[in-house]
Amino acid sequence: MEYFLHILVLIGIYTVLAVSLDLLVGQTGLLSIAHAGFYGLGAYTSALLAVRLGASFLISLVAGMAVAALVSLVVSFPSLRLHDDYFVIATFGCQMILFGIFNNWVSFTRGPLGIPAIPQPTIFGWNVRSRISFVLLTALLAVCSYLVVTLLARSPFGRVLRAIREDEVFAQSLGKNTLRFKVTAFAVSAALAASAGVVYAHYTTFIDPSSFTVTESILVISMVIIGGPDSTWGPLIGAAVLVTLPEALRLLGLPGSVAANLRQVFYGVSLVVIMMVRPRGLVGRYGFGR
Amino acid sequence: MATIRCFDLTKRFDGVSALEGVSVELLPSCITAIIGPNGAGKTTLVNILTGFARPDEGHCFLGDCEITHLSPHRIAQLGLARTFQNLRLIQQVSAIDNVRLARPQQRGERLSSALLRFGLAKEELRNTEEAMRQLKFVGLAEKARELAGELSYGEQKLLTLACCLATEAGVIVLDEPVAGVHPEMTLHILSLLSRLRQEGKTVAFIEHDVAAVRRISDLVIVMDHGKVIALGTPQDVLERSDIMEAYLA
Amino acid sequence: MGTQWGGEIRGHMLSQLIANGLIAGGTYALIALGFSLIYGVCRFFHFAHAAVIVCAGYLVFALSSRLGVPLSLAVVLSIVLSSAMGALLERAIYRPLRAKHASSLMLLVASLGIYVVVQNVISVVFGDDPHALLSGLPTQGISMFGARITFIQVIILIVTLLLYSATGFFIAHTSAGRTIRAVASDSELARIVGIDANRVMLLVFALGSGLAAAAGILISFNVELTPTMGFDALLMGVVAAIVGGIASVPGALLGGFLVGLSQHLGVWKLPSQWQDAIVFVILVLFLVLRPQGILGTPVRSAAV
Repeated sequence: MEYFLHILVLIGIYTVLAVSLDLLVGQTGLLSIAHAGFYGLGAYTSALLAVRLGASFLISLVAGMAVAALVSLVVSFPSLRLHDDYFVIATFGCQMILFGIFNNWVSFTRGPLGIPAIPQPTIFGWNVRSRISFVLLTALLAVCSYLVVTLLARSPFGRVLRAIREDEVFAQSLGKNTLRFKVTAFAVSAALAASAGVVYAHYTTFIDPSSFTVTESILVISMVIIGGPDSTWGPLIGAAVLVTLPEALRLLGLPGSVAANLRQVFYGVSLVVIMMVRPRGLVGRYGFGR
Repeated sequence: MATIRCFDLTKRFDGVSALEGVSVELLPSCITAIIGPNGAGKTTLVNILTGFARPDEGHCFLGDCEITHLSPHRIAQLGLARTFQNLRLIQQVSAIDNVRLARPQQRGERLSSALLRFGLAKEELRNTEEAMRQLKFVGLAEKARELAGELSYGEQKLLTLACCLATEAGVIVLDEPVAGVHPEMTLHILSLLSRLRQEGKTVAFIEHDVAAVRRISDLVIVMDHGKVIALGTPQDVLERSDIMEAYLA
Repeated sequence: MGTQWGGEIRGHMLSQLIANGLIAGGTYALIALGFSLIYGVCRFFHFAHAAVIVCAGYLVFALSSRLGVPLSLAVVLSIVLSSAMGALLERAIYRPLRAKHASSLMLLVASLGIYVVVQNVISVVFGDDPHALLSGLPTQGISMFGARITFIQVIILIVTLLLYSATGFFIAHTSAGRTIRAVASDSELARIVGIDANRVMLLVFALGSGLAAAAGILISFNVELTPTMGFDALLMGVVAAIVGGIASVPGALLGGFLVGLSQHLGVWKLPSQWQDAIVFVILVLFLVLRPQGILGTPVRSAAV
């Protein structure tokens, strides 16, 4: 039962990651390989604030999201001015720098040793300690993220994002400052990813750089692609499928490391197959223009 | 309503002159046609005017405002709308959604308003009304809810015009508005352009259809090899055999 | 111990760092060149270039260590097979996608998937632990300007420059090379003139992958084999291509050396773990200040 609840918490966290990435991929048509980096940025910012300065959960949550949004500006402004391909490369670089900071700036982040003893959250007197409380917390966060992304999607802001996705030149000719929209979407998605990191840190009470690698970014990308870009339930479905899959593999009794690799092979194959056969994934509305 | 003035526009690509010392004036309540053979520089001129290309030399003004190095969205915000030769639209959404997109200064396009939603419903209602008005003007009101991709080619051209008008631009520049369209639709589009002229708008279009040009334009600019080789009323320009030879060559 | 000794040691260290930087830079230049060629013609980010890099290294290992093939033959076979692999990816995956009008984003996602599959298959087959390509590697070498350069490293430098010149010559002076340049500068025009873009892309993938394979093998000799080395190397190569100028052949060489030097010289002042971060700061700086790179032509954002 505890295990089942743990899976639910993970699904909640990954739903937040997937839905925030979908804002970028499904609505705006941009791909970021830095999502795990922002996830980690939220986790590390809040962990450091909580452990070193005794900051409360809410403060570290806001701080984590703010830091992620600010860092995203450094990546998006220079690259989006040019071409979307440069943006992908810039997010690549951003991911590597962030991981580099988590892993190498030992005096600050303790490097590979990670940060232990992160206090569990207390929110307005609610002590989140039991696993079922965490299920509630992550569900709350997932609902909020969904709300934010859906509100944006179903607004004129979202209308412009999708126009940028389909024909950016047309959107510009209608007076839309497409750079501003893309930068904003990226900042929101980074902030939401960071919020997932904050909750993750306070749930596991120990974080280390290995949770925030490029592999993790690709995992979230797979969730979005498999579920389907620009869809209501796609991110949730993608998250649920890809979180429960490793558990299913584990039941098959495969040795741990091989299971991890096979999982990745599955992600890789899905990405290729979906692009070739059904770009809109399971329930997506956006088929990358096809 | 505003005047467009361009002086000495020059643009070179890899040593080839796409435009060489081109000066142009577009006036309100006036329809200007830009004609010339393929490669004459007509689309380059329009791209520079609308901010999608930068000239190597020269200046452009919209009214008193210099627009030479402004970005395309900024120029559109200042009141210059255009269509494209290869018909740009959002194919997967409805006609009216395309026109709603074109509406300027929507508070709902700001992050805070999109999330907090104060007054959003009312603004959308107004957007929809305005959008319907433009669709009615071009004659697409019944097709408002159809997907843009499913409209006929001619109807799509009307839609792009409706989008231009929805931006409340005073200057409309059209790239081949009647190319590939049947005669009935051509007449309809031309009559719409005449009505825009009556409303005081500054209208310019690139075309190959000489009859269309003769029919409604007040001024004709003939381009060839990146230069303006003739400028005048349709009667002056289109009767001149040397011009027409160069053009048809 | 006076400043004289300290100065000499520092001087030696500087030459060593420069030497290491140039050698690493040479391999990055090869990757950058292959990547640039592919991007220039096919206009998408072929992430799976990293798969070719790592595959080539492990192929040499498998052929020589596991199957007993003589090393030089293994190297040749590996390069040939890796070029074929690149061409196969183009033929079997990218071309069908292009035929269905896939956007460059879709091609990128597919190439990401390919890379993930290849890297993990290698992890399963060979394990995650590093392998040495040559056991009992001779560490003798020569001394030049105070730097120790092993014979292997000399070979790397020579091979890099040879391959570079050969490719540069090919691009500039053969008809196939001209065709490549035509498609890269204006694919529409090239099509009108009758050039078969598909065949050119196949050629460019084979050529680019061959260069990537060479780089991968050289890196494996210089450092060691790990499943993620292709990825790390690709990143350096991409930054090198951007810094040098994405469409420029000499630019890739310049960019490669610059990236290699910055990576290694950065160690002088900063702790060694920051090697990679330095490179990425350089990337961002170039994107902000000079996106076309040192030798590239200005970036066009959208064709209208």
